[in-house]
Amino acid sequence: MTSGDDSKPATSARALFSLRAVALTVISLGGIILTQVSRIGTGAGFIVVGPRIFPTVVGVGILILGFLFLLRTTALLDNALVEEVTAEEAATDWRTAILSLLSLVAYASLLHPLGYTISTALFFPVAGRILGSTRLKRDIVIGLALGLVIYLTFTRVLGVRLPAGLLAGIL
Amino acid sequence: MDVLTNLLNGFASALTPQYLLLAALGVTLGTAIGVLPGIGPALTVALLLPLTYNFDPTGALIMFAGIYYGGMYGGSTTSILLNTPGESASVATTFEGFAMAKSGRGGAALATAAIGSFVAGTISTLLLTFVAPVVARLALLFQPADYFSLTVLAFMSVTALVGKSFLRGMISLFIGLFIGLIGIDVLTGQPRLTFGMAELLDGIDVVVVAVGLFAVGEALYVASQMRHTKEEILPVKSRVGMTRDEWRRSWPAWLRGTLLGFPFGALPAGGAEIPTFLSYTTEKRLSKNKEEWGHGAIEGVAGPEAANNAAFSGVLVPLLTLGLPTSATAAILLVAFQIYNLQPGPLLFQKSPDLVWALIASLYIGNVMLLILNLPLIRIWIRILAIPRAVLYAGILVFGTLGVYSISNSFVDVMIMYAIGVLGFFMRRYGFPVGPTILGVILLPMAEAQFRRALSISQGDPSVFFTRPLSLGLLLAAATAVLLPYIPALMARLRRKPVESGRVIFGDGQDD
Repeated sequence: MTSGDDSKPATSARALFSLRAVALTVISLGGIILTQVSRIGTGAGFIVVGPRIFPTVVGVGILILGFLFLLRTTALLDNALVEEVTAEEAATDWRTAILSLLSLVAYASLLHPLGYTISTALFFPVAGRILGSTRLKRDIVIGLALGLVIYLTFTRVLGVRLPAGLLAGIL
Repeated sequence: MDVLTNLLNGFASALTPQYLLLAALGVTLGTAIGVLPGIGPALTVALLLPLTYNFDPTGALIMFAGIYYGGMYGGSTTSILLNTPGESASVATTFEGFAMAKSGRGGAALATAAIGSFVAGTISTLLLTFVAPVVARLALLFQPADYFSLTVLAFMSVTALVGKSFLRGMISLFIGLFIGLIGIDVLTGQPRLTFGMAELLDGIDVVVVAVGLFAVGEALYVASQMRHTKEEILPVKSRVGMTRDEWRRSWPAWLRGTLLGFPFGALPAGGAEIPTFLSYTTEKRLSKNKEEWGHGAIEGVAGPEAANNAAFSGVLVPLLTLGLPTSATAAILLVAFQIYNLQPGPLLFQKSPDLVWALIASLYIGNVMLLILNLPLIRIWIRILAIPRAVLYAGILVFGTLGVYSISNSFVDVMIMYAIGVLGFFMRRYGFPVGPTILGVILLPMAEAQFRRALSISQGDPSVFFTRPLSLGLLLAAATAVLLPYIPALMARLRRKPVESGRVIFGDGQDD
């Protein structure tokens, strides 16, 4: 999606499309909240303000705000916003953002089985690479150092628990 | 209650080697992280929260105050040399600060920022010392209805006065309220909006939300735009210091900035954004060298930087005395209190005077430390600016994950945090401010509890919010905050002048 040869109207149409999608997402969030409200039990005994009042207010509020925002992307178009988002769209590198997110999920899943030190030592150079670093060796060293120093400081000095994982007997 | 005796006791406690060390550690870490491009005090505090889980409360809060202050000093360095404000309160500094650095006067800009921050920080801490106990005594008069109206005022002023669009601010706020509702209802024990997930019964920890929105959201956003931004760090060739003429031009700007910063920080109006912009405009209007503006007028750095630091002490007034955070960063400081089961509010001054006064005393000490750190040692911090972006953001992701994982070693927490990070990414992308979201998450429990209490006292009669004068006044203030940005346009229309823009904007609302 980073091809720079898009003609301008095409990108601004895409910005408009995504803004409308945002508005619809907000509206559906309001809808979801309101359907969930009926599942909230009212509890035993009498209370002046029950547990459903605030969720209802918030759900209705989001619904209304979502419709107002939809209005700003259709009938009462917010041109400044469309311009801003058009510029954003043109500069967005989705690949980097998505790969960063995937590397994060992998990192979190490996924390327990591999242990804090090893997973951090693996994650850091990978994330650095995704974000555009070209010095792999340096990143590996930093990642390993970070993992070790944080693990030792947190578990030995600060008394915060972190998983030892594969290095359980060694560290 | 004798303020001076209390303050002296505070100093006696803050000057013990252990607390001095923590204050020094706090300001150093705060400066080191605050100087990193794109990282403001809110993110700095959020990332460093887990460091203090096992400290005693006083020590931890002294360290946090230091981190916050350090983050602000560090932020001014980035604004001046890199034109990258870490938070919206530093935006005003970049206009003249970066221009000064470009014309080779970076040293003077850094000096007026550091000394101005010191002057403003010290004067406003002095104001805090005498104002806070008075407000705390007044706050004892607050009843549940008043507290609820106060949260309404905080919600409205932060969303209405800060950010480009009131509508988008409100959506952000309501998303925050939604996140705050998730979990078991304290009063009835009923699970709410948990979507059947057992992990959500305890609610979503505010640290999870803060780190997700600020650290991961920002990192993903930067990652998506990275290949399109190029930055150069301007070298500081000149001496870090000021000429006699620059001193003469700086000090009135510092004092005016302080006088703007403190009261605006203390009002529930979004912290330091408004006073920094007001200070910038004031200095520009009063300046005798109008032709210099845009090319590096020193008053344009001195005023906003002083206002920024003074606003911090101002923000502490409602935070300590009413438990009311008025900016995203203050909201995260409130989390720091809550980790230690401390509830800021009128009773804090009575229940934990030792802690409060040691904290206030440590602000004076932290300011002196920061002056030393930022004048003679500034060149060390400038080196940090040279850290490559890829390494920097990989590091932020490591620390963000660490911050959430270390709470309870929970994989699910980390995944929720990443999901909120994705939310933060899209909010930045489509121009939604993240400040109101965090404020909504943090203040929702207080708003709901006080609303319920007020209505049980009045036996279900909702007029209680309008019949109590204090509550009514606060609600009217909230309404004023919403209408205020439209007033100039309205006046212009009444005078039949052409309308330039429909709504006055006080800041860009990216408080991170």
